[in-house]
Amino acid sequence: MCSVMKQPISKLIFRAYDIRGLYNKDISPEIFYKIGLAAGTYVKQTMQGKQITVGGDIRQSSQSLTHAFIAGVTATGVHINHTGTTSFGQTLFTGGELKADLIAFVTASHLPPEWNGIKFYYGDGVGFPEENLMAIRDLVLQDSFVLAGWDHIGQVTTVEATLRYKDFFASHFKFKKKLTVALDCGGASMTLSAPEIFKSLGFHVIPVYCDPDPSFSKRPSDPKPKNLTTLVQTLKQNSCDFGVAFDGDGDRAVIVDNTGQILSADLTGIIIGKYGLKKKKGIIIVNVECSKTVKEQLEPLGYHIKQIQVGHTFLTLEAKQTGALLGIESSGHLIIPEYFLFDDALVVPLKIAEILDNVKRPLHDFVIESPSYPTRKEEIECADDIKFEVIKRLQQMLSKEYEQVNIMDGVRIDFKEGWVLIRASNTSPIIRLTAEADTTAILQELSNRFMNKTQDLIRQIKTTQ
Amino acid sequence: MTRLFGTNGIRGVVNQDMNSTLALEIGQAWGTYLKKTVPRPKCAIGTDARLSNHMLKSAVTAGFLSTGCDVVDVGLVPTPTLQYTVKEKQFDAGVIITASHNPPQFNGIKGTASDGTELTKDVEETIEQIYFSQRFALSDWNEVGSYATWTGAIELYIKGVLSCVDVASIKKQRFHVVLDCGNGAGSLVAPILLKKLGCVVTELNCEPDGRFPGRHSEPLPENLTMLMKKVSETHASFGIGLDGDADRVIFIDEHGSYIWGDKSLSLVGRYITREKKGGITVTPVTTSTCFEDVIRQNKGRVIYTKVGSPIVAGVMKQNHAVFGGEENGGLIFPEFQYCRDAAMSLVTILEILAREKRPLSELIAQIPSYEMLKTKIPCPSEKKERIINLLADEMKNHREIIDIDRTDGLKLYMKDGWVLMRPSGTEPIFRVYVQAKEKQRAEQVALFYKNLAASLMQRA
Repeated sequence: MCSVMKQPISKLIFRAYDIRGLYNKDISPEIFYKIGLAAGTYVKQTMQGKQITVGGDIRQSSQSLTHAFIAGVTATGVHINHTGTTSFGQTLFTGGELKADLIAFVTASHLPPEWNGIKFYYGDGVGFPEENLMAIRDLVLQDSFVLAGWDHIGQVTTVEATLRYKDFFASHFKFKKKLTVALDCGGASMTLSAPEIFKSLGFHVIPVYCDPDPSFSKRPSDPKPKNLTTLVQTLKQNSCDFGVAFDGDGDRAVIVDNTGQILSADLTGIIIGKYGLKKKKGIIIVNVECSKTVKEQLEPLGYHIKQIQVGHTFLTLEAKQTGALLGIESSGHLIIPEYFLFDDALVVPLKIAEILDNVKRPLHDFVIESPSYPTRKEEIECADDIKFEVIKRLQQMLSKEYEQVNIMDGVRIDFKEGWVLIRASNTSPIIRLTAEADTTAILQELSNRFMNKTQDLIRQIKTTQ
Repeated sequence: MTRLFGTNGIRGVVNQDMNSTLALEIGQAWGTYLKKTVPRPKCAIGTDARLSNHMLKSAVTAGFLSTGCDVVDVGLVPTPTLQYTVKEKQFDAGVIITASHNPPQFNGIKGTASDGTELTKDVEETIEQIYFSQRFALSDWNEVGSYATWTGAIELYIKGVLSCVDVASIKKQRFHVVLDCGNGAGSLVAPILLKKLGCVVTELNCEPDGRFPGRHSEPLPENLTMLMKKVSETHASFGIGLDGDADRVIFIDEHGSYIWGDKSLSLVGRYITREKKGGITVTPVTTSTCFEDVIRQNKGRVIYTKVGSPIVAGVMKQNHAVFGGEENGGLIFPEFQYCRDAAMSLVTILEILAREKRPLSELIAQIPSYEMLKTKIPCPSEKKERIINLLADEMKNHREIIDIDRTDGLKLYMKDGWVLMRPSGTEPIFRVYVQAKEKQRAEQVALFYKNLAASLMQRA
């Protein structure tokens, strides 16, 4: 417990795709009240809208922050549909059904439990773009809000988000087999939807951390491989057909095959693209970080692979505009627009199950079909004030030097036998280099070459400053 | 120190002086206070029917949660329902978002202690101190309070109220009543309650609506004209007019005549002291002598207090009173709970009618009648105390004055009545109440004190 005086709001809590911070340090009910005022003002003035659907994840601080947000939104005269404590998908789905102008979800996704935050989506499931989030940020920092008169204060309707979401899956998925699945909710928000929905669809569920645990004391909410040892063990002990682990709010799912191998998002996307989509003609969206295997495996089947910049906001927007069949983010966000535009984590394991339902082969058979190439990720230190300048200069320089250069997000240089991506981190004084190649030797050569180029440029800019 | 809490909680115009920032910080200040008394406080929160209720409820809830108090939201309920829930369900505190009878642009925050009674002045001042110091004991991320909703409050309350009256006798009478809830929170309770008592109910303004489209929510005669008309038109047994949050009630007799609050207070007081063969009753110094007259008939006693229902309730509790209340229709039934309760008032009136088997107008006619005149004398706030003392000095040896009472302001008793001068807490005035046998005499007394005060003010 702490006795704190009011602090100015840090600009840094406003990130490209969401707002995040440490509870009681960077963010507080006071700040969420202001974010509510700003979101309400934005919906009313910029969108000419009138309703926000809001819910929160299972974190202990989510209700306090959600109520403060609601107090702000209603003060501007915008109405609230409140879903309460839910998984990400439950609130997003409900907001869509209610034709919300904006959907807000209080969460810090996969971050530790002392963190919290909020992210916004449009009612149709498209992520809220960075420039609009920055418009909300400016309203907060400038205290520029439009308050409603007493007779136009927003009203709050409490809405049930569990049943209709569950019904949606009941009407979209039917299984002939009783598959055995190891389900790892990490004690987080997916405990509120996944176990019941899997059971109701006829699965034999082996639960792993499926009891609500708002402090994530059993496993960290980031489902990265080193946090999934219990899941893998449980899956092997129970000879499961597959396993799945979710992050803190439920916008990412990690699939584990029947042998205990943890699949990357790219590989999961490839399997869905190959066996899970009914249509073989159409667009599949990948971002610039995705492995070249995705294209190699899916393009020959007739799909058009469209490369976009990193960020689930772009993924959802691109999917809406192009009518894409599938979207893959290397960081783990997958979208299957035949269900939702937004990155609901539950459709991913169900799609995998649907594939397994129709074949006699185990999941691992599909996994080994796709080759895995060596990759390398490097972080290059670079001061915040020059990192974007470095990227800009690299884009100009490399576009002249190489043939296949993509500058939509950082700079990506493609070769027949591999690729390199150089991007500035949005949050840290770092430039990230990602590379993938057919062999380790090529990988070394490629990544070293571009590491050197980047470091040279940093030095050069520093000295001319 | 600047005060936030008035006689009935914190009030203001919505999004002006009554806004979410204030509500959030009141929640935090109050939560900080509660955490000093209980390790994990549990608070019930409810609202009346006003349009800004959700906003303020969310803000106060956020404040409580952030200081580590658990919150149970009971929804739209009358104030006495929330109070009863707090007591019966062992909450550590209760909050009701209401501005009672104020116009719709107002709203407010009213608090209760763990027994459902309104907060004492001491507690209010402690909360204010924390608020103004801005030193809130905010909980760490893992100690933030939990939030839940509960829809059982109204059922619990109705069951409780019904357990206090002779349901069978009332049912037999098949009373026809006209009920005007003024689109307030009483709409959720009163119609159900009356139907459970076998009444045929004609409803007026019984849909909750924060704009109060039917009438102003203060049950004054000028606001209850529709109700009065409906009672005589439909030949009903009587009419019921509730205020915005259903803690106060005004009755209309079978002829459609308005019954002032001191009369209904006296009728119920007489009934209860008769049943109990005496007992202590409590009312503020402003109440008409008719109350004391009927209580004395039954060998009961009246204790006079300062104005304010929490004060009346507090004195009732200390003295194990059998009944108490105010002349504005706020009646307190200690066997049920120590707060003003319109539902208890109306079921008790039904029981009286069922047992005495006489029309309401006849029962009211049995209560002695006095002329009551209310007026005000302007006086700058800083001079109020001096003027009151000067008035007391001036009059203490006056031949007409037989007794002086300084409970609240200055009350001077004469052989044929009394005069009370109270400094207003919010305006630069004295409120003056004169009770006499005839109207002319009352006016004469009022004029005398107006002149006297004016000359004292010149001297001061």
